[in-house]
Amino acid sequence: MKQTIGVTVNGRLYEEEVEPRILLSHFLRETIGLTGTHIGCVIGECGACSVLLDGKVVKSCLHFAVQADGREITTIEGLAKDGQLNPVQEAFVKNYAFQCGYCTPGMVMTSQALLQKNPNPSEEEIRKALAGNLCMCTGYVQIVDAVKEAAKGMKNG
Amino acid sequence: MAKFVGNRSRSKEGPRHVTGRGLFTDDFQLPGMLQAMILRSPHAHAKILSVDPSEALINPNVFAVITPDDVKKLTKPFKPGRYAAGLKRPIDEYAGAVDKVRYVGEPIGAVAAKDRGTAEDALELIQVEYEPLRPNVDVHEAIKPSSAALFDELGTNLAWTGSLQYGDIDAAFKSADRVVTEKLKIHRYSSTPLEPFNVIASYDAASKRLTVWVTAQVPEVIYDGLREALDLQDVRVIIPDVGGGFGQKIHLIRKYVVLVSLLAMKTGRPVKWIEDRSEHMMAGGHACAQEVEAEAAVKNDGTVLGLKFKEYDDVGGSISTLTIHFTNKLNNLSNTYKTPAIYMEGHAVVTNKCPVIPNRGIGKPGMCFIWERMMDRVAQALNLSSIEVRRKNLIQANEMPYSTISGNIYDSGDYPGLLKTLLEKIDYDKLREEQKKAREQGKLMGIGIVIGVEPGGRNAARDMAIFPEMKEPPGSGGVNGAKIKLEKNGTLMLHLGSPNCGQAHETTTAQVAADILGSTPDRFSTSIPFDSDLSSWGVAAANSGNNFHLYDIGAIHGAATKLRDKILKLAAFNLKVEPSELTIEDSVVKVPGAAAKQITFAELGRIAYNNQHLIPDDMEAGLEATHYYTFPFAKPNIVPGADRKVRAQFTFSAGAHAAIVEVDKNTGSVHVLRYLIVGDNGTVINPDVVNGQVYGSAAHGIAVALGEGFMYSPEGQPLTITYLDYGKCSAAETPRVEAVHQPSPSPFTSLGQKAAGEGAAIPSPAAIASAVEDALQPFGVKVCELPITPEAVWRLLNHNPEKERRTF
Repeated sequence: MKQTIGVTVNGRLYEEEVEPRILLSHFLRETIGLTGTHIGCVIGECGACSVLLDGKVVKSCLHFAVQADGREITTIEGLAKDGQLNPVQEAFVKNYAFQCGYCTPGMVMTSQALLQKNPNPSEEEIRKALAGNLCMCTGYVQIVDAVKEAAKGMKNG
Repeated sequence: MAKFVGNRSRSKEGPRHVTGRGLFTDDFQLPGMLQAMILRSPHAHAKILSVDPSEALINPNVFAVITPDDVKKLTKPFKPGRYAAGLKRPIDEYAGAVDKVRYVGEPIGAVAAKDRGTAEDALELIQVEYEPLRPNVDVHEAIKPSSAALFDELGTNLAWTGSLQYGDIDAAFKSADRVVTEKLKIHRYSSTPLEPFNVIASYDAASKRLTVWVTAQVPEVIYDGLREALDLQDVRVIIPDVGGGFGQKIHLIRKYVVLVSLLAMKTGRPVKWIEDRSEHMMAGGHACAQEVEAEAAVKNDGTVLGLKFKEYDDVGGSISTLTIHFTNKLNNLSNTYKTPAIYMEGHAVVTNKCPVIPNRGIGKPGMCFIWERMMDRVAQALNLSSIEVRRKNLIQANEMPYSTISGNIYDSGDYPGLLKTLLEKIDYDKLREEQKKAREQGKLMGIGIVIGVEPGGRNAARDMAIFPEMKEPPGSGGVNGAKIKLEKNGTLMLHLGSPNCGQAHETTTAQVAADILGSTPDRFSTSIPFDSDLSSWGVAAANSGNNFHLYDIGAIHGAATKLRDKILKLAAFNLKVEPSELTIEDSVVKVPGAAAKQITFAELGRIAYNNQHLIPDDMEAGLEATHYYTFPFAKPNIVPGADRKVRAQFTFSAGAHAAIVEVDKNTGSVHVLRYLIVGDNGTVINPDVVNGQVYGSAAHGIAVALGEGFMYSPEGQPLTITYLDYGKCSAAETPRVEAVHQPSPSPFTSLGQKAAGEGAAIPSPAAIASAVEDALQPFGVKVCELPITPEAVWRLLNHNPEKERRTF
């Protein structure tokens, strides 16, 4: 039985009919077409599908779409404004904090959430915060450096 | 003049990835598209008695089911590839199992339904009757005559045996002062790309044209596989952004491309299949478990006169990649050493486990592991420093280019220099002092120093060396193309011949072409998807084999050079000067010193496509150039002769690695305190990109050594089908790898560049093993097996409790 839900994604309200078994990750990708949220495991281990739900970072594969009814979501598509990258995104680009790009949206969302909570994290804090986001390509060095640089940039900006 | 090559340059891939605008296969939706699920075997070894899909087909939203009968009727088996060339009898391998299943997760059919949920439900309604057979999970058990054979055609699970000898190995062992022996083991692992396998297939029945979008590294494998299996002429392969490859997306994925294409042909609708994580972990391909018995013939001064090794490869339930981990050892058979005689013997054993696939370096990490563990053993046996033993045997910088015993030609390198810098950077003598103090305090600190070559640029004829019966090579050398176009508006378009799996091909090629064309990287756009209809591609169009630096850069360099000549000719005609009088700066062609005499790329673009009377009569209109690159120094030894010598690869990067670890003697866990690499990747085109390759490959090699890996139950059931069970490392467990560049540019390549992709994954498992063994030196134990899990360390520590009491 389909249910109607209303979810605000990146500031826009979407009213959609969904099956209760549809995961939030699939809702974002397939129902409303925001394919920047990636799926790497569907069991909450890899973090590629990380989004902000009411400002907190969550793995969207561990939520049903119906659980997002009436709530606010920010996805990777919601960070840049008019093509202008936000400080985390810019630091990722500058530091080559990605290779294949598949984990990148989740990494950026988690880093964004970390810096909102802790604007001046140590390397250890960054690594702990990112422990739920796996990357198979980079060895994490440039990702950690990007988060450090973004923190600096946000402080100065 | 190099303005961009060698310098930092803004990433061209980055902006789309950080905004979620990358386009991966799963991001595409086609009208009327169905979703597929794969029917897989729950048994490790069983006969398929019957498959009945009728109940699944009752649901009108289920559009088609493919059964083993369909696969047999509607497809042809894949042709035996180069790795199955040594089989005594050819074995048909279809896209799905047709008579037997040989590993858990082996595909036996597929379903297409309106959506994924319906397809998943339908899978459960397909009735499959099996007759279970005894599974083979251990190579030594599997080759016993009493074990059930996986392939009746072979009658044994020892599917292939072969050997190669270079130099006079008997003389080496006769003249040795000592013979040092060791048994070594490497386990099954994988780089587990975060984007799993996925395919979209669309078939136009009226024109018999099949189009597939697929996450794949080697277009040829997909293109040939589809044409062979489906007997089609008109196949188009499109490869969009690929979410990591590492070798996983070369071979096995072709099975799924065929099954999904069959569904598309059967239903007349586009069909998408997205693999899930557990499917990938059980059936997406594993690096081969390798068991090696090695013997080194040595002089008392540490000179290694000869190396013999006998290898048993656990290749899993397929014959299509049977010999790959063994043959691949030809690529770095000599590592960095001058040893004049080597004997190698391979045994490929089929088992009821996931088939093996090439994974970041394939057999090369194993070959480096053999050499570097043996160098430590030689040092221990002769009571010499392990660094001195290595130094004694290293090929020297003034011997380059150096011909190895098996026919490789090392283009450039200063191995003693890499080692020297490494020891300086880590302050080796001081570290040993620290270690002494640490030991006095009961701390188990260890230092591992290893060195390894990193071959690059594949020779398609290599495998012929191990198959004396082969008359013609399956290919030779390598060919790949690239296209560059100056557009009407003066911007530049690059079209590469091979797919990109995250190695910044767009950024790097734009830097190279910008220098040649006197433009800037930001003026280039790159046509991203590989498209077999449009790309200029050959056998080396492969995101594998460390090919990019040689074949793709070579092709871009060639195409840009051709386009530059065209640009200069057109400009000279319009400026009424000779081309030799011209320079290009910032996309403007000028006569130096004559400010009025200049013409912009935009002006030239308008002429080339619009204005015939301004184009010289002897010049083709348009400003486009295609270049197919072959390596100009591929001879000699491009094809193995009677001596079996062959250039397995064409360029040779190298790295010296230092691992400094501390072992917790209570838990057995290993903490990496520092990991430093001094590397020679030839001319570095983009330092951030090369660093990224070094960091990532080292991190994986370290994780492989310290515990990640696949495990099976005695019944052949996979026990590691999630990232957590498998033991994937996150940022919290991964050490910060440090990289120092000390390049020896190649005299053979366009810009002196060498490979960087497989990189540090080759020596790093050996470095960690060496460091852990050094840490455990007070216990007198040896590290001979990977992975070095806390449990494995604990077992080593508790093997000899007497000794432990004495030491501490």
